[in-house]
Amino acid sequence: MTLAWFLQNLLNGLSIGSVYAVFALGYTLVFSILGIINFAHGAVFTLGAYCTYVLAVGQFGLNGVLAGVSLPFRLPFALALLGGAVLSGLAGVAVERLAFRPLRKRGADALLALVSSLGVALILVNLIQYLFGAEIYSFPADVFGDLPAAMLFKVGGKMVAVRSVQVILFGVSMLMLAALVWFIQFTRAGKALRATAENPDTASLLGINVNLFIMGTFFISGLLGGMSGTLIGVSFGLAGPYFGVAYGLKALAVIVLGGLGSIPGAVLGGLVIGLAEAFLPPELSSYKEAVAYALLFLVLLVRPQGLLGRNAEQKV
Amino acid sequence: MEDFIARYGFLFVTILQQALLGLSFYLPLMAGQLSLAGIGFYSLGGYVAAVMGTHPALAPWRDSLGFLFFPLEWLCALALSVPLALALGFPALRLRGIYLALATIAFVQVLGVVVLNLPLAGGAVGIFGIPQAFESRLAYVWFFGPLLALALLLVWRVERSGFGRMLFAIREDELAARAMGVAITWRKVQAFVLGCALAGVAGAMSAPFLNTWNARQGTFDASVACLAYVLIGGARSKWGPLLGAALLVSLPEVLRPLKDSRMILNGLVLVLACVYMPRGIAGLFSRRKGS
Repeated sequence: MTLAWFLQNLLNGLSIGSVYAVFALGYTLVFSILGIINFAHGAVFTLGAYCTYVLAVGQFGLNGVLAGVSLPFRLPFALALLGGAVLSGLAGVAVERLAFRPLRKRGADALLALVSSLGVALILVNLIQYLFGAEIYSFPADVFGDLPAAMLFKVGGKMVAVRSVQVILFGVSMLMLAALVWFIQFTRAGKALRATAENPDTASLLGINVNLFIMGTFFISGLLGGMSGTLIGVSFGLAGPYFGVAYGLKALAVIVLGGLGSIPGAVLGGLVIGLAEAFLPPELSSYKEAVAYALLFLVLLVRPQGLLGRNAEQKV
Repeated sequence: MEDFIARYGFLFVTILQQALLGLSFYLPLMAGQLSLAGIGFYSLGGYVAAVMGTHPALAPWRDSLGFLFFPLEWLCALALSVPLALALGFPALRLRGIYLALATIAFVQVLGVVVLNLPLAGGAVGIFGIPQAFESRLAYVWFFGPLLALALLLVWRVERSGFGRMLFAIREDELAARAMGVAITWRKVQAFVLGCALAGVAGAMSAPFLNTWNARQGTFDASVACLAYVLIGGARSKWGPLLGAALLVSLPEVLRPLKDSRMILNGLVLVLACVYMPRGIAGLFSRRKGS
């Protein structure tokens, strides 16, 4: 229990936790507008990671349909990250058009939207498998150019390793959070978005094109999802087309922990779960994947509205 | 005829087994509650049967009880499932909306991690060589068939009872039901526990049927498949899970020539069914009763 040990875990927890936060915000945005959980979010996360990989490396794997195809260019990582995120944003829009809009038009049960989004997730994941193959992809070591892999600091006689990946994870996530908060709180479009979340019918009466804003929300949600997919992928590798599903479920624990529909809640929830995973004692490390869900149960028992959630009033 | 049975018999038994799982998802849905825990209890029940069937310490029991050991396995699975379902259901069902779905997903994920770390459950490899109840796998029809009939009978009786009407009232409007004096949390928990218990017993029957049992039996994907049976078959009819399981279990067989793109089509079927057939296959047959 030295200071170095503490700092190291704090660093590990904050960097991964900030990505959880960004990823979970994708759920939160859609939930605050439609009151529905978009189960295709995990698949969009995977798609973002794969798209960025191809844009950055310029090559597909060996056993998909696109095996052996190579792009005529290779983008630097920052641009590839952006490109992958935009493509995932478009995938988010496609998810909305395919799984949510037709049901919304019919005024269908919210349960059906949940299942149709699972259906779209199935399509996306298997499309990725079909195109990119089922093998493990990992970003090459030189993906960040000349950046050193890690910097070592000496704290109280022990070493603390700051990996460049961690700095990038934390930096990009914080940048995204800041941009999102700025957009929602300080722009006209953000104000319209908040109005739509508050009450779609009133918003529509006030001249807000509700369908357009729902589409925009799904684009931003997909953007956040794809970007966090890339960040996790560049840190831990892409363990096949299904790797996003597990993260997608974990991010559900994040939003329940923070409070459904709350943006600060999603951020806090992400950081708490990231830190809890990092500070887990090594002898329990095989239970790491269960930490997020254990916290979810705890919050359901003690404070069901989540850490920062409001107690929803029940309307007839 | 023999050729037909040889070819499709296994498929038929699998449909019965999966329909049981579908029915376990249908029960909480009667009260409008989406639970994905069924698959977790199925996995748990399977582990109970697998451990009891293979653990050396229980060998004398197995020898003396013979075939009766299988019903004992089911009872043990039931005895484990009910208290666990109560403990899981109460905190999640105090709340309205999506919380039960999220809590049950969490339960399935935690169970998966715990099972992988439990030496008794065989870790990632799972448990092999579970003793068979019958020589032929087709004979498992005598396990799943009666249980399915019993479960359908139970649902049929529940639908016509005051309890069932309370569940439907909760499904249609929770607040109104509460105003009418229905103890909504307790009724929701009851429906949830019934579903979990059914899944637990179905799992205990399935472990010998499948011969091996591992963590892959209880994944999130598997629970999505079960949910799809109910919704595609019809979430408002007890025949829905059976019809849905029949369709979705045979679909991969029918679509086999498509190979890799098969699962893509499966997802497409799910989406299209939600959009164009919101009342499921059963909804196509039911008379319009005013929705």
